[in-house]
Amino acid sequence: MSVLDGIAIVGVAETEIGKLPGRSAIQLQAEAAVAAVADAGLAKADIDAVFSFSGYSQSMMLHAARVAEYLGLRPELAVVADVGGPGTHHAALLNAAAAIDAGMATAALCAYGENGISIRRSGRGRAPGTLTGGEDFEAPYGQIAMITGYALFAQRHMHLYGTTSEQLGAVAVASRHHASLNDNAHKRDPITLADHQASPMVSTPLRRLDCSLISDAGGAFVVTSVDRARSLGRPFARVLGYGAAATHHISSQAPDLDSLGGPTAAARAFGRAGLSAAAADAVYIHDACTFSVVAGVEALGLCGPGEGGPYAASGALGLGSAHPVNLHGGMLSHGHAGGVFHLLDAVRQLQGAAGRRQVDGAEVAVVHGNGGVFSAFSTMVLAREDP
Amino acid sequence: MSKPRPDLGDEVTAPYWEAARRGELALPRCDACGLVFAYPRRFCPGCWSADHTWQTMTGRGCLWSFTEVHVAFYNDTWADDVPYVVAVVELDEGPRLMANLVDPDPALLRIGARVEATFADRDDDLTLPMFKLTP
Repeated sequence: MSVLDGIAIVGVAETEIGKLPGRSAIQLQAEAAVAAVADAGLAKADIDAVFSFSGYSQSMMLHAARVAEYLGLRPELAVVADVGGPGTHHAALLNAAAAIDAGMATAALCAYGENGISIRRSGRGRAPGTLTGGEDFEAPYGQIAMITGYALFAQRHMHLYGTTSEQLGAVAVASRHHASLNDNAHKRDPITLADHQASPMVSTPLRRLDCSLISDAGGAFVVTSVDRARSLGRPFARVLGYGAAATHHISSQAPDLDSLGGPTAAARAFGRAGLSAAAADAVYIHDACTFSVVAGVEALGLCGPGEGGPYAASGALGLGSAHPVNLHGGMLSHGHAGGVFHLLDAVRQLQGAAGRRQVDGAEVAVVHGNGGVFSAFSTMVLAREDP
Repeated sequence: MSKPRPDLGDEVTAPYWEAARRGELALPRCDACGLVFAYPRRFCPGCWSADHTWQTMTGRGCLWSFTEVHVAFYNDTWADDVPYVVAVVELDEGPRLMANLVDPDPALLRIGARVEATFADRDDDLTLPMFKLTP
């Protein structure tokens, strides 16, 4: 028996996504929060816990207290979890489950969002300069953007397994196709493999179209017990299994590609859920770059180690395939503000509320990926449940 | 905006930077389990022993991976440097280190290529270990 066994996600919401000058990060988080509570069929008075993270573009101490204050909430718990990538939201879910199990909460608001574009333009965003621990041994060399770290792994994958830039391009094209089916996506104009190959190099072998977007956006979800969820009268997402694995922080401390934490996190989550990736009707992989998806399909066991490139190029990522990946468009095309949108879209798929990108009869969804540079992996398996 | 620089006053890592100042690559070797580890830290990451002895490395190793960075991220701090090569080197003694490759010859630039340490003064106080490709 796990505290996660009786836990449900009942409401999700995202704000507009793109360049939204004049809207602070906390405002975007609050906009998403209010909409998610309404989506759940709940009201302000029902929310008795807040879990959140500010994101990295403008780090805020005591962030959950700020969100609670901004929304006029006085919960027992206002807790920040920062695992990086999907682990941040999964850890919030775990915290919420523990709080509900302990009788400290009944309905938890989990709120995220950043104004990553606008804060940089304002000059008030995060700037590298203050280093701690291992960063002292990387940042002075110009390892200051995450994408450089990802590029090191993509390059090594190409060397070990023969993965090609065109195979990475297939990930970008599939993501954009899905975004073209999503009216709220940041980038919706379809792209071709030729567009990918012509896009400027950022950090070899990764081109601009291999990189996730930076967006102004907020996203939020509401967690409650399955019993409470049933009373709300619509399908919801039930937690089937959760697993994680943390191996390092900085790139030069990472294990080699065959020992990263992705497969371990996935195996733990699937083991606890009692199923495998073969059961996943919709797959969500935290796509900091196209290569993250290649590594992700390998980690989930959708293909063998080193086979992620050919798998992506085979068309297996697209809507209509057995295990479509990132149906909202991913961070490559839908938007990137802390990476919460994968989880939100997984819930929508299970609720049958994903519009033109809906997988008919979606019963199981998987959300997987890492924070840092393949540093801390997290896999969440969710299933549709009807009231 | 100036480039990020390490804390030269950190008591655990200071010997690393002092060695670099002398043109040497030095790392701690655990007295208990024998592990040579990078980056330097208070406890051996293998066995948590607090006892280690600084050792001068050969400075030789091979290229574990690399990336040529074409964009000057964050306020153009690196605008005069692009494109520059960020590399992860696996030293012959075992540990991996990040550094830049100095004047990389495209004909030699591949994973597994042999490299050796070289040193670059960034300012009056800081010397950074770097690597160059060797034929």
